[in-house]
Amino acid sequence: MSGLFQVPWSDYRPDLLDALGRTVSYTVAGFAGAVVLGLVVALLRLSKVWPARAVAAVYTEVFKNVPLLAIIFLTYFGLASAGIRLDVFTAGCLSLIVFYAAYLSEIFRSAISGVHEGQTEAGEALGLGRAGIFAHIVLPQAVRQALPGTNTMLVDLLKSTSLLVTVSAAELMSEGRLITSETFRALEVYLVISAVYFALCYPLSQLLLLLERKVRAGVPLSPRRRRRVRAARALLAADLDNVNDRVSDRKEAVV
Amino acid sequence: MTEPVATAKTVAAARAEAVVRIEGLSKSFDGRLVLDDVSLEVDRGRIVSVIGQSGGGKTTLMRCVNLLERPDRGTVEVAGEVVHSGGRTVCRDLPALRRTVGMVFQKFNLFPHLTAVENIVLAQRKAGIAEAEALERAVTLLRRVGVAHRGLARPDQLSGGEQQRVAIARALALRPEVLLFDEPTSSLDPESTREVLTVMRELAADGMTMLLVTHELPFAREVSDHVVFVDGGRIVEAGRPQDVLDRPAERRTREFLAAYGSAS
Repeated sequence: MSGLFQVPWSDYRPDLLDALGRTVSYTVAGFAGAVVLGLVVALLRLSKVWPARAVAAVYTEVFKNVPLLAIIFLTYFGLASAGIRLDVFTAGCLSLIVFYAAYLSEIFRSAISGVHEGQTEAGEALGLGRAGIFAHIVLPQAVRQALPGTNTMLVDLLKSTSLLVTVSAAELMSEGRLITSETFRALEVYLVISAVYFALCYPLSQLLLLLERKVRAGVPLSPRRRRRVRAARALLAADLDNVNDRVSDRKEAVV
Repeated sequence: MTEPVATAKTVAAARAEAVVRIEGLSKSFDGRLVLDDVSLEVDRGRIVSVIGQSGGGKTTLMRCVNLLERPDRGTVEVAGEVVHSGGRTVCRDLPALRRTVGMVFQKFNLFPHLTAVENIVLAQRKAGIAEAEALERAVTLLRRVGVAHRGLARPDQLSGGEQQRVAIARALALRPEVLLFDEPTSSLDPESTREVLTVMRELAADGMTMLLVTHELPFAREVSDHVVFVDGGRIVEAGRPQDVLDRPAERRTREFLAAYGSAS
């Protein structure tokens, strides 16, 4: 084993931490952008106006069927040759956003259209407006549906930031390549870099699974809902005590 | 139905009494006529039951009252205000209309991501009712329909009867002037049906104005002031329950009741 680990890792620690930070930045910015754009594309695809649907469908199909690496080259090198020079961070984030938005839009679309139309009708019958129905009735249910697929995409996006090595984005993989070129110890370096990716992705996906479970169990996550449920529990205390039926209550207390 | 000698004054008085007034209503879906020149009135404090075969237009008729369906022709008037006329919605404030009209669905349509009590609070908050009052009202209503002990359960943890009673509480929370019931017991087992009918009986005793689409003919006979038999999109026969259900004048009504009798 002592033969395997010969790279002076402590010398590289500041650079590695920098690179780690950049990987996280690409992931956060890329994912946030992809969620927003994905939601917009999903809503366009569900629109009653056919040109909107067509534009969204073309977008989704194009970016789902082009490799991410090609998109990275197009935004960084391609646009530059057309006179649009983007810095590497912008180009990297943009690539991740347009690529993952295509996948997320499909997940969001099916989640939104999967909410039963009786739900919208119940909202209408109660005098809620379109925005209120979407925000309070459709979206929370769609989120529940979309969460597993979306979480998979988040972890996938984190791993895909490694493709940005091709434009020297100074994230983890680029740093790995740099260290390799200085030490010529490819096996050791890429084992360590892989371990770092694993140490990021595994806890993240476990955390997301926990979130999925909580949301599925209907645990109130927003402070407003928590306050409301707490106040309701106080008002209903006498009624709930009358019956040994506090299953949902206990479950919630445990989580 | 107005007496030929009625003065303008008595007509106006009769109008003020009607919470729901439908006149000459027609509605087609994809060229198929579902409602054909239907007129109907529900006076304050009265209960009107609409009976008839499935697919006969009963539900569509009911959904035209709160404009979940927009009629092609005719007039819909709710609480003295014309809301739809000649194929055009003239209601200035659709959310306000819908808060005036409570609706209970066949499949409950509770919000599955919210607890029973939150289901009842949501629309109240959107209607501008303060949080504390909305909660207070929700709890009071849950007690009234006998599911307060399940107030923190989510819909999938409730039985069908409990869900429908929560749905009734939700519809009552905005203090509507009329409640629409769209086959409220059709998805329920006999035990749950009994629970829901008990709640509806109590509402009737409290003087709630109701328009009810139902297959529960004994219940319709018991609580209704007026029974309307709809078939093929037209009102075939209407009148007091004992007349329509026990001494129907029309052949089609007799056939329907005979089929119902042999089925149950």
